[in-house]
Amino acid sequence: MKRRILSIALLAAMCAALLAGCGQKSATWKVTCPWAPSGVAAMVSQQAATKSTSYSDSITLVAEAIKGDAATVNTWVADTKANDTELVFVGEGLLSITSILDPAKMQFGYEDFVFVENLYSSIFVLSADAKLNISSVADLEAYVQQGTEISVAVNGATGSEAFLAASLFGAMGAGDKLKLTPYQSAAEAAQAVARGETQFAVSHQSQILETYQQNGVTIVCAFDEGNIESGPFAGVEGVGQHGYPYFRNRCFIMARAGTDEKKVAELKELYGKILADAEVVDWLQNTMLLEVDTMSVADVEAHVENVKGIVNEYKDVVAG
Amino acid sequence: MLQYIAPATGLLFTLENILWINLGVFIGSVFAAIPGLSVILCVILFLPVTYSMTAIPGMMFLLGIYCAGGYGGSVSAILINTPGTPHAAATMLDGHPLSEKGRTKAALKIALYASTFGGIFSALMLLFLGPQVARVAAQLGTAEYFMVCVFGLTIIAGVSGKSMIKGLISACLGLLISCVGSDPMTSYDRFTFGVSRLYLGLDLAVCLIGLFALVEIMSKAEKRLDRLNLDTTQIKDDGVITKAEYKRMARSVLLSSIIGVMVGIIPGTGASEASWFSYNTAKNMSKHPEEFGHGSVEGIAAAESANNAVTGATLIPLLTLGIPGDGTVAIMLSALMINGLNPGLSLFTTQGDIMYAIMLGLILVNIFMLLQGKFLTSLFAKVVSIPQEILTPIIVIFCFAGAYSVNENYFDVGIALIFGMLAWILRKLELPPVPILLGLVLGSMTETNFRRALLISNGSPKIFFSSVYCIIFLVLILLAVGAIVRGKMKERNAQKEA
Repeated sequence: MKRRILSIALLAAMCAALLAGCGQKSATWKVTCPWAPSGVAAMVSQQAATKSTSYSDSITLVAEAIKGDAATVNTWVADTKANDTELVFVGEGLLSITSILDPAKMQFGYEDFVFVENLYSSIFVLSADAKLNISSVADLEAYVQQGTEISVAVNGATGSEAFLAASLFGAMGAGDKLKLTPYQSAAEAAQAVARGETQFAVSHQSQILETYQQNGVTIVCAFDEGNIESGPFAGVEGVGQHGYPYFRNRCFIMARAGTDEKKVAELKELYGKILADAEVVDWLQNTMLLEVDTMSVADVEAHVENVKGIVNEYKDVVAG
Repeated sequence: MLQYIAPATGLLFTLENILWINLGVFIGSVFAAIPGLSVILCVILFLPVTYSMTAIPGMMFLLGIYCAGGYGGSVSAILINTPGTPHAAATMLDGHPLSEKGRTKAALKIALYASTFGGIFSALMLLFLGPQVARVAAQLGTAEYFMVCVFGLTIIAGVSGKSMIKGLISACLGLLISCVGSDPMTSYDRFTFGVSRLYLGLDLAVCLIGLFALVEIMSKAEKRLDRLNLDTTQIKDDGVITKAEYKRMARSVLLSSIIGVMVGIIPGTGASEASWFSYNTAKNMSKHPEEFGHGSVEGIAAAESANNAVTGATLIPLLTLGIPGDGTVAIMLSALMINGLNPGLSLFTTQGDIMYAIMLGLILVNIFMLLQGKFLTSLFAKVVSIPQEILTPIIVIFCFAGAYSVNENYFDVGIALIFGMLAWILRKLELPPVPILLGLVLGSMTETNFRRALLISNGSPKIFFSSVYCIIFLVLILLAVGAIVRGKMKERNAQKEA
């Protein structure tokens, strides 16, 4: 008897669950981040996924991080087709750097994606060993003019940080004096400059903040057009106003090429709502030291081309 | 500090936190006990659960997984001669032989008690000396890291078995395999043969499954079925640990906990390195080194206390400098940041109560790990009574599922199989697999730090003698090499006398 009651109860529960699902047209979109689960992009993606159900009844975002960079995106491209409910992150690292330095690693191109939204932009900063007492572009130019060797700690041998360092010192005419020292993570690079292993480091603002607060480093400049407007580094000079090249770090959410325009528009609208959420804006600005930076396709293409230009000009300095 | 303890205690001792700790400890123990399902994977899977929580319960849940994962890996190492996690590999060397002697429960209990001691020791270090220790650790640079790696490589002598030459061949193979992937200093591919998946290198957890788990299964396949069934008399184990054994373990547990803390605070190193360093040190300092590799209680205790002492220590650079000590802790960092907490010394003054609640919570996590472990030990010990013809297919399924889950692709399953076959061939050639693992663990770190140090010094080897820390590590290396030579000479003399 007990078994019968249990079976009927289970059947009833299954029917109720099925009926409850009938009325909904909710689609679950899996968002694959091809970088470390502890990285900035993965965190922002998780935050967006958590908020998605508050702003949409028809779309639920599920964030996933599979470290692997180009290899993960290769698999994603091979496994998906137009209109699949799958999204993936790509940034200038893949579209502008790897595509030039090591195209064989990529079994995809920009044409394999359709742009949905850019989640954030991050301004890189150049920090210096506090003993050097360099805290402005003018100080830096004076230091470079001394003609001594310049060592810069960067995250990875051919990442965005390496190209920003190469472009800045290259544009100052010190490309041949530049020694890039690659570290396994941005945090390691930030520590390296604080203990004097290198003279400078390029990193995201959040990654150098603690070292800066402990007076281990000075912040020289920001890799942006104008000065940093808010946060703990407010007022730090942008290199753009001095005529030096720069770019921000951006992470584009992409759908598979050929995906229905209406679906892409719905996703863009949802991301727009999430990125306008006061809590998200506050978290991005004050904790992650990032900026909300929604973009158009034209903006994305301009960003990719800008970085490509820098990579082409300074690839010999970085990759030798 | 004292002004934060009372409010921190109030924040910590809630029913919600205690429930989350226990759930985390249970999940971590079970996950880590299954080969391939690593602690980091577990933390990644359960991280989204914490996004809807506040900082303290979220961190308590993740710390529960993290600490219990340190202990859980030893369970499969002891029971089925396959470390559930890479850092339990050193435990396997003595844990499984002790289990084979019919002392399964005793081996599991030693692992649990040693893990708890190591965990609590490091939690206390974090609580009382965190910021001071972190400042010293921050002084260690590339050259010092390299010296640590070289010191680590001296362990090869201790795990080579009967033949040092064969151990060195295996270690070189491990070092060679660690070169597969992107060159860390230039990003150029090495030994990838055009396979895009290989440029990321080979995942340690995947290699481990092949080297230790699949090879066991292949070896079992070679045997006759009637020889597979366990003699049930072997598992009549009361789990008693004698006073003499406790006495023998006391020194190695304390020393290994200190080593675990020292290794843990150095970012980029981790529990694997700590357990090997401690195992080797315990062996060198033991009055019974001949028992190591044959079920030494000191060996299990040393490896387990060290790998759990890392848990609190990795939090020291995270909470005080914002630098995650290892990969798992890096993921925990995001749990803090999602809650608007950017770790660093400044947070100790602005959010001191939360920071101290997390640090006190780590002690609580270890206490609950002990309580749950005591209950689970009896359950786990029953695994050995499962007939091998049932247990083996289950292990095979877990191995393949584990290999797949690391990066969610079948490529890694293939890699695990290749490593299984490689280990089987090596077994036939009597080449020990443990030095391969050491080569894999230390290879990339050694190479990267060596080349980076020379880059910093413009090629001058003087950088390796440039600081007090370098000199200390150099002395340790010389002492270790001296101990190896002395041991070998003693062995030779004993053989001659025999």
